[in-house]
Amino acid sequence: MSRMEKIRIDDLSFAYGKRTILNRVEARFMENTITAITGPSGQGKSSFLMVLNRLWETIPGAHVTGRVNIRFDGEFRDIHHRSMPLTRLRRTVGMVFQTPNPLPMSVAGNVAFPLKLAGTGKRKNTEERVEKALSRVHLWDEVKDRLKDDARKLSGGQQQRLCMARALVFEPEILLLDEPASSLDAKAAAGIEDLMLELKNTCTLIVVSHSMDQVRRTADRVLTLESGELHGCESS
Amino acid sequence: MKPFFFISAVISACVSVCIVLFMIILGLPLFREGLFFSMLTSPWNPSNGVFGLYPMIIGTLGISSLALVFGFPLSLGTAALISGLAPKPLAAVLRKTVQAMTGIPTVVYGFIGVFLLVPLIRNLAGEGSGMCILSSALLLSVLISPTMILTFSDTFDQVPVKTRMAATALGATPVQTFLWVVLPASKKGLVTGLILGMGRAMGDTLIALMISGNAIAVPDSLFSPARTLTAHIALVIASDFDSPEFKTLFACGLVLYGFTALSTLAVRAIDTVFRSES
Ligand SMILES: Nc1ncnc2c1ncn2[C@@H]1O[C@H](COP(=O)(O)OP(=O)(O)O)[C@@H](O)[C@H]1O
Ligand SMILES: [Mg+2]
Repeated sequence: MSRMEKIRIDDLSFAYGKRTILNRVEARFMENTITAITGPSGQGKSSFLMVLNRLWETIPGAHVTGRVNIRFDGEFRDIHHRSMPLTRLRRTVGMVFQTPNPLPMSVAGNVAFPLKLAGTGKRKNTEERVEKALSRVHLWDEVKDRLKDDARKLSGGQQQRLCMARALVFEPEILLLDEPASSLDAKAAAGIEDLMLELKNTCTLIVVSHSMDQVRRTADRVLTLESGELHGCESS
Repeated sequence: MKPFFFISAVISACVSVCIVLFMIILGLPLFREGLFFSMLTSPWNPSNGVFGLYPMIIGTLGISSLALVFGFPLSLGTAALISGLAPKPLAAVLRKTVQAMTGIPTVVYGFIGVFLLVPLIRNLAGEGSGMCILSSALLLSVLISPTMILTFSDTFDQVPVKTRMAATALGATPVQTFLWVVLPASKKGLVTGLILGMGRAMGDTLIALMISGNAIAVPDSLFSPARTLTAHIALVIASDFDSPEFKTLFACGLVLYGFTALSTLAVRAIDTVFRSES
């Protein structure tokens, strides 16, 4: 099966101040695949994800050199180029953080937040999309009676899935998941794995994971990040 | 350390209770004759022996609420710049400036008011001395802003970085993050800052004394002069003692004390409301 490239990374270096995290990395990511990234902690896996949606720009002292090209509507565009609208980039590249970070608002408000940002807040439609996103992450049944509650009152695992729903509400083309199963019990983790496989139909997924089992069950390819280098092998 | 704080707390509580008692005792004749409450609503008309505080109460409330009307947006904007919207170096300069402003003696503001603001307002009004509610409210708004700015920006800074990042990663611009995430999470701090600002505005004496004109009449426009309770106390103390005017001071003190107590209670109430909410 011939897949199209979605992300091209060339000569990418990343540093916090003088401390190099990524050193001249080359990588390609194919459309509709799941790439797992493993490696010892503190090696820069989370930082690598933050390069792909330019979130590193909010961190004082962080800087990037090199090129990251992402294919939008059939055409590769340099995400660091001046003509690249940040909003569009971040809407296309969804991200779920390592530790759940619900916004200080209601459960429904969290999921609807991206819609509100985009100004597509037609009421009926919003409710439908919130329900759909929450159902996809198997959270709807647990929270359907507490949509107006503060999202920070949910359990860690629920918050994690809420953040995932929030990232999905805009149907991103690329999804960055940072240790998505770390605060989930076995059942919820299995649910997330199913969801990842399902999302593969519409998304390019890059998943940081420590769980070898999870990697084996879901990933098309495993990359290891160590000493500033990203290397790996194709699997299955 | 703990006993030390405990002792300080006890001492300051005692002092404040003593002050109230002192004012009540000295103002006792007013209470006995049932004068106190009628003073709150009657005009100041010494030739008829009426020493009402109504004009001063309106003066105090008018000037300080107007100062808040000007100072709140100014403070909110500046605090927003300091806590995330301005580039780092500019934010640092702003913060330092605001901190420095808290240390400027009030009399300096007063002078600036007399020599710069008052003539400006005089020209604007086209009549009168320029010493009026508007002048003193404008100047007071500058005086109380540092307190509000620092309270606001402290509250904004309490919104965790990872929360801001969550919004940013979803495509929120810094302004959207501020308006839709930081601001709603800071309700309590905003109200607290407002009340602190109001307290400072009502308690200020010098600005009111120097540039509000001090006429004892209920103001009827922004360009009318007015006298505040604090300025009234200062003026009367400076000119006599043991006259009927002098006795009104205790009533003034009690009213001011009442305002302060109210705002303290309000802060407490807000604290409880927001704590039970989250
Ligand atoms: N905001 C930051 N400022 C400076 N250094 C950071 C920051 N975030 C992470 N680091 C450092 O960069 C390294 C990589 O971090 P991270 O990307 O979180 O690694 P991983 O996800 O692989 O555990 C770590 O050593 C960490 O200490
Ligand atoms: Mg990490």
